[in-house]
Amino acid sequence: MISLTSPVETWAHRLPAGIKLAALSGLTVTLFLTDRPGALGAALLAVFGLYLSGGPVFLRQGLRHLRMLWPFLLLIALWHGATGQWQAGLVIALRLLTALALANVVTMTSRLTDMIAVLTCLLAPLRGMGLQTRAVELAIAMVLRFTPMLTENGRRLAMSWRARSPRRPSWRIVMPMVALALDDADHVAEALRARGGILNDRDAGKD
Amino acid sequence: MSVDLRDVGVSLDGQRVLHAISASLTEPRIGIVGRNGSGKSTLARVIAGLIEPDQGQARIGGQDMARDRRAALAAVGIIFQNPDHQIIFPTVIEEIAFGLTQQGLGRDEAQNAARAILARFGKAHWEAAATYALSQGQKQLLCLMTVLAMRPRTIVMDEPFSGLDIPTRMQIARHLSCIDAQLVLITHDPEQVRGFDRILWLDGGRLVADGPPDAVLPAFRQRMEDWGNGDDLAHLAG
Repeated sequence: MISLTSPVETWAHRLPAGIKLAALSGLTVTLFLTDRPGALGAALLAVFGLYLSGGPVFLRQGLRHLRMLWPFLLLIALWHGATGQWQAGLVIALRLLTALALANVVTMTSRLTDMIAVLTCLLAPLRGMGLQTRAVELAIAMVLRFTPMLTENGRRLAMSWRARSPRRPSWRIVMPMVALALDDADHVAEALRARGGILNDRDAGKD
Repeated sequence: MSVDLRDVGVSLDGQRVLHAISASLTEPRIGIVGRNGSGKSTLARVIAGLIEPDQGQARIGGQDMARDRRAALAAVGIIFQNPDHQIIFPTVIEEIAFGLTQQGLGRDEAQNAARAILARFGKAHWEAAATYALSQGQKQLLCLMTVLAMRPRTIVMDEPFSGLDIPTRMQIARHLSCIDAQLVLITHDPEQVRGFDRILWLDGGRLVADGPPDAVLPAFRQRMEDWGNGDDLAHLAG
């Protein structure tokens, strides 16, 4: 499953997504106002406190999401170690970790629908200019819906390959995967059309 | 409410798929039977307004479903054979609410109506579930709830039971039996439409029989068994 929203209900789940996103932007900018490792370390501790307030399961899940950051942190450490700028490296690493940990809290505590609602709000000026924004919202939802399905298509093709070949699946399953994806796209287009397609203008005011 | 087909003809990729189909469907339960490739699915899409016939007319309640998509949203819903081809959204509630916002409901109204239909089916706890993680039968039920939430007067179902096990099929069929809307069910299996009001039999894109199940289904079954004993898989189309 691709959803990153935590099933553990925390107090932060009940805050409106718009406020969380605004706070995230504000706090991230604030992180760039200081170069003191002490201040940034304190900020990181505060964010860690946010995770703690969500309980142990929430904390563990959050740390798992952040684990993918370690190659970047390692690269920063190596680079700044090599050039002898320890303090600068520490500042960058702390800032990166704090900002992403904070963003991750917002992701984990906001439902996709609410995020899309915020986006719809922000795109309102474009709608005022007569541009269609419904497609953007739809596109985000559809990426989330179909990414697992595309992965599954690939797995199925690989399995079908292995059933008839002693060797590992090669680049030759790429074309059939593309063909399947195009075929799926046709079906989804039909499903969208069955439910009215992208009907924008008349309903835009109600969103 | 009636589905009116007048001399409907459709060509896809240069192949004639439907020939001069005419019928006025007013009965609450209509079955369309035929073999694979007989044009059933194409006819289902014509009725739902997803394919515009290149000859003749297809209308529901006097309106052209292919031209007037807004009218079509209120008049007709379609359920495809493969629910994976139908589900557009990552969560159950979004999937159901989408059609309702398309019909002009506000975001909150749509969410409430979606919750109401989930509750009606005793599936309130599905709300936040990932559509991808549902079983095949659950996906098919979700498609049904999605379409029912939009309250169409006619629901077209294209082989809704294929690939479902017997208990799942029975449960879905039970849900179908309590639907108020007119039901047009496409199938190759005469058993599934035995209790219906009227059966259309399509073969090679033509309407070969049209009448009550007692008059049409025995002949259909006999013909299928006769063909089953032969070897017409040998013929290539085109």
